[in-house]
Amino acid sequence: MSGKPFVLAVASGKGGTGKSSVAASLLVTVDGLLGVDLDVEEPNLALLTGCEPVESSLVTLPVPVIDESLCTRCGTCVKECRFAALNMFGDNPPMVNDLCHGCGVCSMVCPVNAITETERPIGEIRKCLGDRDILEGRLTPGMPNPVPVIEAAMDAALARETNIVADCPPGTSCPMVAGVHRADAVVLVTEPTPFGIADLELALEVLSNLGKKGMVVINRSDLGGGDVHSMAKRFGMPVVAELPFSRHVAEAYADGRPPATADPDWRNAMKEIWSTLERNFSL
Amino acid sequence: MKPREIVVISGKGGTGKTTLTASLAATSPRLAVFCDADVDAPDLEILLRPQSTGTCTFWGMQTATIHGSCCIGCGKCVEACRFRAIDMQQGKAHVETTFCEGCAACKLVCPNDCVEMVDTKQGEWFTGETAWGPLFHARLNPGGENSGKLVTILREEARKAAESLGRDLILVDGPPGIACPAISALSGADMALVVTEPTLSGQHDLKRIAGICDKFEVPVAVALNKADLSATGAEKIRETCKENGWLLAAEIPFMRQVVDRIAAAEIPTSEMADAVQCLWEVLIQAAEN
Repeated sequence: MSGKPFVLAVASGKGGTGKSSVAASLLVTVDGLLGVDLDVEEPNLALLTGCEPVESSLVTLPVPVIDESLCTRCGTCVKECRFAALNMFGDNPPMVNDLCHGCGVCSMVCPVNAITETERPIGEIRKCLGDRDILEGRLTPGMPNPVPVIEAAMDAALARETNIVADCPPGTSCPMVAGVHRADAVVLVTEPTPFGIADLELALEVLSNLGKKGMVVINRSDLGGGDVHSMAKRFGMPVVAELPFSRHVAEAYADGRPPATADPDWRNAMKEIWSTLERNFSL
Repeated sequence: MKPREIVVISGKGGTGKTTLTASLAATSPRLAVFCDADVDAPDLEILLRPQSTGTCTFWGMQTATIHGSCCIGCGKCVEACRFRAIDMQQGKAHVETTFCEGCAACKLVCPNDCVEMVDTKQGEWFTGETAWGPLFHARLNPGGENSGKLVTILREEARKAAESLGRDLILVDGPPGIACPAISALSGADMALVVTEPTLSGQHDLKRIAGICDKFEVPVAVALNKADLSATGAEKIRETCKENGWLLAAEIPFMRQVVDRIAAAEIPTSEMADAVQCLWEVLIQAAEN
């Protein structure tokens, strides 16, 4: 490898198609990869690879602190905040709620400079060790915005200067975009059900808008009977592996073991994914 | 009576929310209104097959546009933007709309007043009529923002419809995760039905989402789906429910026929009959108390 680390994102539109299974299986099949869990609302990659947290650092958001003695209750900050994160009742100074995005506008507009900022913890980055090396982003329950935690986890991973497999959040909205936008290539995991195919189309549209290259893995390929191939072809993405439903795999997953350790088909599929990347991206 | 609202939710994706919601919808003992709050992967319509009765535009937050002809390239907006949404291209500031959160900090600092905040279409929402009642659903634009706001609109519309039609139940198919759309789907609901699976991930994610329900004081019932895929996993879910005082309302085995019915875009009503009957008893009783 030369220069900048290579980032492979594992994503999907629909949840539960097997993103973490693919990410964990890649980690145990290909040597020297760093795993990063960007599914910060429900991080499962460390669980699935048997890694335990050994270190944690906080992810914080700069939120306003209002100096009551300076505040004139003019309400400018409340009016300018586009996230409805400040409320003012009666003669009290404005109060900050959990909707704060940390944009800094309130402190910019305060006519009497009554607003400073403090760092509010919204999540953490955990370093997890076991047979593999994982950085896990973890949003604190109750916090509405996962994006800063996703970005911070990716920043931390990129600083390590090693090739990365990123387990992304499901869906097709801002958390998924935050997960994939710094990736060099994306593996989309789907299943051939009407749900899987409908959500795959939305995910493919996101990647196409972002100009991302990638490939499709069909999980539980014998359940559902739908045609993933023509959908993938329409977006110019190869189908790189088809993995039938297997009770062994389901049981391994249930116990927190990567499918590649339980099923040779999975192991071969992971090798195929990586060799396709090596060919296409000269890793 | 005010309509009661039940939200089907899961934390972890792919546990069977939509399959279970559709099975409940098709067997509801009360007149109901339905709502698909999973706005960036909306699949309930595939099973409920609504006749469309209307489409509305979803306007999200305004986003910044910088007029290139007026930009003097001072870079103050780049410095002020905390979302890395602005960069300089050939000496002019350029906004990457996907990352713009619409805070307007750039507009405030621009010395030449070149920034305009413009309304942005972030998706569409739809009304439809199914065999079992009205459905409110949506499609967020791929890569769109403000899914929580869209969820709130759908729930409000569903509530208005339930009230005006005299339907006393609202059944919501929720999004995965625990952040803004999940919180928007849950806040103020009468009951959360958390669908989980007998895996380590399922157990971990159940704790996080049901913890959020506790925080928002929404009563929790749990459905353990694909319960027979792991005996030890299922036991852990039972223990977790017991320890936290969450009602384990049904255990549903993995059934290949269910997948086959979904593949045909059909609701697996007969396969899910036992589970659904169990769940309705619990849900109706809990929602009324």
